[in-house]
Amino acid sequence: MSETVSKDLHPLEKTLLNWLSENDTGSDMAVMAGTGMDEGSYRRAFQWLLSREMAYVVSSTKTVTVELGPVGAVYTDKGTTPELALLEAVKSGTVSLPEIQKNELFDRGQWGSSMGALVKARILKKGKEGLTVNDSSGGVFSLIWNEVYSVIQNGKTLNLSDLDEQVAAEVSARAPKRGKSRAEFVINESTSSVIGITPLGKTALEGSRGVNTIGILTREILASGEWKDGSFRRYQVDIPPSRIHIGRLHPYGMFLDSVRDKLQAMGFQEMKGSLAESEFWNNDALFMPQFHPARDIHDAYYLEDGVEVAPPPRVLGDNVKAVHEDGGITRGRGWEYSFEWERSLKAIMRSQGTALSARTLASNPDIPGKYFGIAKCFRYDQVDATHLPDFFQIEGIVLGEDINMKHLLGLLKLFATEVAGATEFKFVPAYFPFTEPSVELHVKHPTLGWFEMGGAGLFRREVCQPMGIDVPVVAWGLGLDRMALLALGLSDIRDLLNPDLARLREMKSTPEKLLGGDDNA
Amino acid sequence: MPKIEIPLKDFLPLAKMDSTDNLEALLESLKAELDGLYEKTVKIELNDTNRPDLWTAEGIARGLRCWNTGAETHLSCMADPVVHIDVHEELKQVRPYIAAFTCAGWTVDDDGLESLITAQEKIASSFGKERKTAAIGFYPLDGISFPVSYSVTSPETAFQPLGEEIEMTLSEILKQTETGTKYASLLKDFEKYPILRDSAGKILSFPPVLNSQTTGRVASGDSRLFCEVTGTDWHTVNLTATILACNLEDRGAVISPVEIRYSDGDAAVTPHIYRDTLSASLDEISKMIGTPAEELDLEALLSKMDYGEISVSDDSVTAVMPPYRRDGIHPRDLIEDIVIAIGLNNIEPILPSEYTVGSAAPVESLARSVKSLLVGAGCEEIMRPVLTSFEKISTLTRTPVPPIRISNPMTAEYGVVSSTLLPALLEVEASSGHAAFPHRLFTVGEVLCRTNSALCDTAVNLAVSTGDGDFGAVHSILGIICHLRGLELSLKAIDDTRFIPGRSASILINGNEVGILGEFHPGVLEAWGITVPVAGFELSLESLRV
Repeated sequence: MSETVSKDLHPLEKTLLNWLSENDTGSDMAVMAGTGMDEGSYRRAFQWLLSREMAYVVSSTKTVTVELGPVGAVYTDKGTTPELALLEAVKSGTVSLPEIQKNELFDRGQWGSSMGALVKARILKKGKEGLTVNDSSGGVFSLIWNEVYSVIQNGKTLNLSDLDEQVAAEVSARAPKRGKSRAEFVINESTSSVIGITPLGKTALEGSRGVNTIGILTREILASGEWKDGSFRRYQVDIPPSRIHIGRLHPYGMFLDSVRDKLQAMGFQEMKGSLAESEFWNNDALFMPQFHPARDIHDAYYLEDGVEVAPPPRVLGDNVKAVHEDGGITRGRGWEYSFEWERSLKAIMRSQGTALSARTLASNPDIPGKYFGIAKCFRYDQVDATHLPDFFQIEGIVLGEDINMKHLLGLLKLFATEVAGATEFKFVPAYFPFTEPSVELHVKHPTLGWFEMGGAGLFRREVCQPMGIDVPVVAWGLGLDRMALLALGLSDIRDLLNPDLARLREMKSTPEKLLGGDDNA
Repeated sequence: MPKIEIPLKDFLPLAKMDSTDNLEALLESLKAELDGLYEKTVKIELNDTNRPDLWTAEGIARGLRCWNTGAETHLSCMADPVVHIDVHEELKQVRPYIAAFTCAGWTVDDDGLESLITAQEKIASSFGKERKTAAIGFYPLDGISFPVSYSVTSPETAFQPLGEEIEMTLSEILKQTETGTKYASLLKDFEKYPILRDSAGKILSFPPVLNSQTTGRVASGDSRLFCEVTGTDWHTVNLTATILACNLEDRGAVISPVEIRYSDGDAAVTPHIYRDTLSASLDEISKMIGTPAEELDLEALLSKMDYGEISVSDDSVTAVMPPYRRDGIHPRDLIEDIVIAIGLNNIEPILPSEYTVGSAAPVESLARSVKSLLVGAGCEEIMRPVLTSFEKISTLTRTPVPPIRISNPMTAEYGVVSSTLLPALLEVEASSGHAAFPHRLFTVGEVLCRTNSALCDTAVNLAVSTGDGDFGAVHSILGIICHLRGLELSLKAIDDTRFIPGRSASILINGNEVGILGEFHPGVLEAWGITVPVAGFELSLESLRV
């Protein structure tokens, strides 16, 4: 046996065994220095020997070091942390959070969370009369500045174990394992070992002396015929492959493409539009009154002054205005208010994909016709596990002389089964300003249970008539976030657009299974 | 969307229901959702922003009663008004409209009082735009001597407001009471404030802020009430009063109208009985629903939705909306109510029969072709949000043209719209130092750019970067894409703040300048905290169209 094993020693293994047999034991650093191996080669050779019980770990020690994270580096530049800055501000008379949030040294969120931290640590007190100082020394936050920042800001290493318990705990809490770009500190763990050779290792090394086996088969060996007399070193075939990194599409993009393919297969043409829209196309053309609660300043992002979106054609604009004010060319009553052009022309970030449908209706669409759009939309929401600053909405319209409620429901049924892979679904009456009747599609997903998949309806005459559309138009919008998360095995929506390549590389690639349905389950 | 929580022991008898079984399904007919069912209460979310009548226990209960047993009559036998309110001229600029009624015959109990308060809050905050267009006041009727006068007065007028122990002037109320500070902005432009007094000169309330502690405090046991609604919008004021009158009538009160006499001689009797009449042709109904209208029992269907005076002729149907609704603004609204009454799940889903040909947007087809080449070149696709920060684009990356800013950002982190995709790739590089190399990244996405005029323009861009790679590395990737697509690529040296001098170039495809390529300046890398050399290029995706 030992002869077979000896013949199969890799040159790196031989080098390592050689050194160990001469020195008996050695630390990682000593072995690398002694053998001239780089760290990768050394680790590989040692792992192979370890698995064959030819080498062993004599002892190992773990060191945990602290470095500044990107946020910490910013604080260093500013010369203070938000906690200390807030404490100073309260000492000099600032009493409320909104007041300090006017100070642009840190952003609103940072002021807010540092107030929370200071109150929790009982350094500040929050009472009826506002914020007051409880512990003017700054407690753990002063310690962090004096004992951590002052040491590591010049790139010096600091061992976590050198810090006192309270400071170490606070530092660790500010060193998230995920989302390092938002970290105040980064904690690195490293292990250094002393390794040694086993009797089996010595025997194998002895047996390998004078034995020359063919390792990598080279062109030269093939050309010279040397292989005819030699024997081949046997590879250990059960070790895991080394990980390579290949070009690939983003899993979320593939999910959206699956939806795009599905809709094309159903006979839909794709619409494309602009990220920025006027309120006209985003709201007015959809018969959303200018006083509608969803048109509040806190529901849409407005572009900086001086940046505009092209105004709508004059005739269309006049028609829409009249329809809002008194029903205009429809037989309706309108919203009975005074429509403001200035408001209508304001440029905002598109807040609903339906803006695309409005533009399509106004540009002489095919009748009969089916259209869909995958549109980036922007909502005024705090970013958290269920909200992104911008997200995709999937929208569509179907126009035709004979289109009616039954077709609307038929299409929704198709989406429920084909796109969501739903086992059950139901239709629920709904309210949207631009459709009447309006319907919500609720589906029972094999994993998610019942949820609202989308809204739909027949566009109101007040939407279609000003655009010169006289046939019925079915409109629908599907929410895909939850299905995308599920399809990709995620629970936090921010992970769809994660900037960490290592984590992106862990996402699976099975585009054929991204949409539900019996065929793909 | 408004949500209300109501006690079951009040709600179920009002709705003439024995239990909450089936409540969830029944609520769907009112575009309402069961938000939570608890031991003693039920929480309901109302999705129709045009149906304030449903934002109260009485309104939901009424909707369910009618659904089960058909239409009811509302405010149908009111007597002529015997009392009136004088409205003074000077209110025209401040808060011009008022509607009012009195009621008797129902004794206020705890649940009823709670319901009055809920209605007051929900309707005045949402439908009444935080009390601007409508604010509501209830008073014990006994002790008020008519006519009541609705006029303006000096901010120094004093009375004891509800919940306070002392007399305060109106300006003190606006500064010192919680309710006052909340609504002070409604009156900030005026020198005189609205006031409601009875004929004996007693102050009833300071609309839209607070009632009087002495004359405006309703308690359990009261059985005669005075209710008024003031505001800046005629219909909002009147509809609100009508809804409240219907609600109290449903609880057993007899409603008596009040005449409103305006200074210019106009007069109105309130609560106003809205009789919005809607009609639709049978042909239109058939076309919309896909079922011949002749096969539908339109009278029964509309009765479930509480319509009155339903008349079906050979070619059309006409019906009157109940007085608490004003959301029927088009014949289509009548048809929707017919559809709801039929039940959406009772309508057969079918697919459109017309054949149409599907297609992807040209830019998406192009993106797919280019992406497949990039994947072949070993590039990994990145996706990042469109909103980003000024810091990332300008300060860190040193992009020469500033991005378009959001004027009302939520946070500075998402304060601008991406005008270039290279910062997103640098951000990934900065977050991925621990990920094994090579890093060949690409992203295809929409950006918003300035044009020569004030107009902004959306473009789809492609950006590629290589972490631990040089000018040649990205040049080769661009080169092979152009080669395989049959495009003629050339580079023209230019200086750009983002890149090392002498190592950046303008990309020319078939002779047109379409983008930029270069090796990022170490200053940029340092700003981002990137520890490997990075090169990249960005161009308009359309420039790769053949």
